[in-house]
Amino acid sequence: MAEHVSSLLRQSVGHLEDEVPDSYRLVLGTLGPLTVEVDVDGEVFSLRGGRGLEVSDGPTGAAGAHIITSRAAIVDLLDAKVGIDEAVQAGAVRVHGSLDDILRAHDTLLAYVHAAVRAPSQPKLLAALRTGPL
Amino acid sequence: MSAMLARSDFIRTPVLASARPEGFKEWYHFVVHRPGSRILINFSLTSETSSAGHPRLMPRVIVIAHDQRWTGAVERFDDSELDVSADLATLVIGDNQMIVRPDGYRVMIDLPGHDIRGEFGFTSVSQPFVVNNQPVGDGRMCWLFVPRMRADGWLRVGGEEISFDGDVAYHDHNWGRFRWGGDFGWSWGTILPPDPEAPWSLVFLRMTDRRRLCSLSQALYVWRHDEPAAIFRHAAVEVKSHGLLGRAADCTLPPPMRLVLNGDVSDIPERMEVTAQRAGDTVHAEFRPQSYARLAQPSEICLDRSVVLCETNASARVTGSIDGEEIDFVGPSVFELLYG
Repeated sequence: MAEHVSSLLRQSVGHLEDEVPDSYRLVLGTLGPLTVEVDVDGEVFSLRGGRGLEVSDGPTGAAGAHIITSRAAIVDLLDAKVGIDEAVQAGAVRVHGSLDDILRAHDTLLAYVHAAVRAPSQPKLLAALRTGPL
Repeated sequence: MSAMLARSDFIRTPVLASARPEGFKEWYHFVVHRPGSRILINFSLTSETSSAGHPRLMPRVIVIAHDQRWTGAVERFDDSELDVSADLATLVIGDNQMIVRPDGYRVMIDLPGHDIRGEFGFTSVSQPFVVNNQPVGDGRMCWLFVPRMRADGWLRVGGEEISFDGDVAYHDHNWGRFRWGGDFGWSWGTILPPDPEAPWSLVFLRMTDRRRLCSLSQALYVWRHDEPAAIFRHAAVEVKSHGLLGRAADCTLPPPMRLVLNGDVSDIPERMEVTAQRAGDTVHAEFRPQSYARLAQPSEICLDRSVVLCETNASARVTGSIDGEEIDFVGPSVFELLYG
């Protein structure tokens, strides 16, 4: 059975904290007080900040930004088969929230990518993401 | 020639990075010019500091190829998958291997996650040349290059197998201490005639500041057969860029970096001219870029910036004369523009 995306994200941010702490703090600072709820093929979880990045399973009532997507769309984005603007326009990634919160979520995504490419553990997690149903 | 290469080229990391790891980098770079395609292979080692403050080496293997369009992979390995032989002649990264031999190099590539495999023999057919202590931002870099090699072997990439049989190739080996994202940029190029019997091989390097407004050093190296025929430096070289290529990159590597390097615009020139004159010798090279791949390197200066290396295939027209001997050919070229 494929590992849940929430579990992979939880492992990912944990490794970032250990391996690239400065980049981790940049992600945390960029996310600020925002809670982002993510729905990947019906698996719902959220990412929030505070003292540390925390991934929680299940829906939350406190999210400012909501992202609805699929594992296949995430892999296509990470493989650069599509750009994020194309994915949004095609409906493969749907985003809801106020403009400020969506921009903050986007900036957090960019900070997360910058952190992930600096961390040695991330390629294995990306490989695990691919093992799920695409 | 063989002895000269064996004397000059060996893996520096075990000695230099052990003595002072901060900022140390080393990479072996190979470019194969085959009619209709270009292949770039790179074995690199970068010294990093772990969150616990301990130095560690980050080994990477990069393979990018241009046939109809650029494609390829950048794979990062754990330092436990790195091995350097005691004689400093063999570098093993995962299942990939590069061996410095008396007359050239043997390279084996195996990146099964990207369906990339290959074996190459690179035989030196020109003398190597070493440039020491080239300023790179606030650091220094040394580089050894072999303007022309003979490439034999095969590569499977993008679902296709490409064979090499006496094709012309280029090699450089770089080592030193500097930080990606520092105040520097470079334009580098290799030009080789399509006919392996044709005598001329050219290498160009221009170092600039990050914004490429100030040229810090530049040189055009011209080899005739296996020996240097002319080396033009600094004011003997004039570089002009014209227009913009006006097309998006064929690919961005590693692919997740497309998320932060979105967009279709680059400042690859539509045409670039390098003119060199000294002591009655003159060379004019005109590059016409066709397409490019973006290699993104995380900045070591800013956590939310990247350094982008644009690997560009171009056709190059070279004219001029050296020691009264005329140069006139159109050949394949790869040049690399580093945007800080």
